[in-house]
Amino acid sequence: MSIIKVENLKKEYKIIEKQNGLFGYFKNLIKPQYREITAVNNINFEIKKGELVGYIGENGAGKSTTIKMLTGLLTPTSGKIIVDGIVPNEKRIQNNRNIGAVFGQKTQLWWDLPVIESFRLIKKMFRIPENEYRKNLKNFTDILNLEELLEKQVKNLSLGQKMRCEIAATFLHNPKIVYLDEPTIGLDVFVKENIRKFIKEINKEKETTVILTTHDLKDIEDVCDRIILLDRGQIIYDGSKQSFKDAYGKYTLAELIVSSKPVNCKEFVHSDSFEIIEETENKIKIKFKHLETTIVNIMNEISKYCIIDDIHMKEAELEEILKEIYKGAYKK
Amino acid sequence: MIRTMLALGKLQLQRYNIYKMNFYLFTLNRIIEILVYIFVWQAIYYQTGDAGGFTIQEMTTYYILVITISSFALWGVNEDMAHSIRNGQINRELLNPISYFKYYFGIYLGELAFAIIIGGATFIICSFLFEIVLPQNLINVLLSMFIIILGVPITFFFQMIVGIAGFYTDSIWGMQILRKAIIQIFSGIIAPITLFPMWFQELSKWLPFKELIYTPVSIWLGDISMNDIVFIILKQAIWGIILYFIAKKFFNHAIKNITINGG
Repeated sequence: MSIIKVENLKKEYKIIEKQNGLFGYFKNLIKPQYREITAVNNINFEIKKGELVGYIGENGAGKSTTIKMLTGLLTPTSGKIIVDGIVPNEKRIQNNRNIGAVFGQKTQLWWDLPVIESFRLIKKMFRIPENEYRKNLKNFTDILNLEELLEKQVKNLSLGQKMRCEIAATFLHNPKIVYLDEPTIGLDVFVKENIRKFIKEINKEKETTVILTTHDLKDIEDVCDRIILLDRGQIIYDGSKQSFKDAYGKYTLAELIVSSKPVNCKEFVHSDSFEIIEETENKIKIKFKHLETTIVNIMNEISKYCIIDDIHMKEAELEEILKEIYKGAYKK
Repeated sequence: MIRTMLALGKLQLQRYNIYKMNFYLFTLNRIIEILVYIFVWQAIYYQTGDAGGFTIQEMTTYYILVITISSFALWGVNEDMAHSIRNGQINRELLNPISYFKYYFGIYLGELAFAIIIGGATFIICSFLFEIVLPQNLINVLLSMFIIILGVPITFFFQMIVGIAGFYTDSIWGMQILRKAIIQIFSGIIAPITLFPMWFQELSKWLPFKELIYTPVSIWLGDISMNDIVFIILKQAIWGIILYFIAKKFFNHAIKNITINGG
């Protein structure tokens, strides 16, 4: 049984076309020229209860627009959204009871008050039962290390501390669905790991459905089971993380440590079976497919021009795969 | 629901109290305002022997009371609303499990509480500095309080209308100045309404703003007959309902607009 159902969803914006110069400014005041852009174009997906979905794509691919429509903050141009039996933009407040959301830098915490005050307000607003509130607060405090932060004013917290509190605030009322729009933006590695751990644990414990957009693919790698990849308003991949890697990641990366290398190796080496993707003074990064060539062949070829000191190999990570996709390698 | 709004009000009040100087500065500000008005009228009185038909003691009391309660009508949620519309915080507010109006009414309660604290302090300090004309009976005090309370929804919905305009214009700075100017003139903060031209007095009789400040003060001073009171109460109730519907309609239109065109 799917908790979120999206059918033929489409969102078009009208934006005012800026015109240059003073004349253009007055012309705009009198008769603005509109241009239509399609932010989300005919997407379909279903999400089951308890799924951890990574919703990814480049800047401007339409991720945030989709999240805003799912939360009811935007009305779709056409198509249908049903979230836990509710059409979000028609019954926004009712829908708000079921969901939690984190939007990048925007906070639901009161800036000049201690964190705990915001938590208490959330407790009242969502009518969280006393024992449930206590239990969650204790649990979240433990996982996210909030102990010392609760009595501090929000404005005195660092970005990482603030985000940990924000995440706790979002999950406090046991939402069925949580939308996390870039929750790890600008955070250090430890905080990121802490937040990922938290999301996974809560998901396991309460079967919270989580939809996560991020540019840090470690988030996806760590947290998500499923990937929906968006490009220019359209879904270009929807499936499990593993099959995503299998489908797109059949190549391997090799890093050669070399010496007495000519300045630009790329110009000498000509081969269809592998590709130099990066080179520095003593390093060459190579991408190849096992089906097409072997590392021995590559080393033979490279050693014609320089001395190979060492070699590292690794399977393609999500990030590398996505770079490829973004570059257009797999675009039809 | 009520408990949520009270909790919101408490938080808003707490925000003022975090900065301890707020209390002293706001109170001082009010007292200086009162002094300015009183000095002006004293100058007029000593030169002409008349203070707009009042005794100088009545005029002094008038301004002390007017400034004391003016914060109820002038302060409020407009700045907060405008701010959150501009920086996108509005999206968070729309994700609350209570309506936008209830959310801001809760915050407005906090503003009112702070206005009452400052007003109380101002009144007590001024009563040491000047001789205040006391009302003839307790009923007048209760009645003026009742009229003030009737003004709360009017002030609130009027503010919401101005604030919602920010959904369209992004900046409500001009509207906000206009709102305050309207209240300052029509509620008798600048001068007692009886000093204004007849047409203005006639107009203000039908508008709801006079009752926010001028009428309660007049009741205190014993200048209003009981016959007028019934009309006033009825008028305020009707205006309250009218402004509510305008604000609601306006909000629904605005929200449709931003959910279609993006915030």
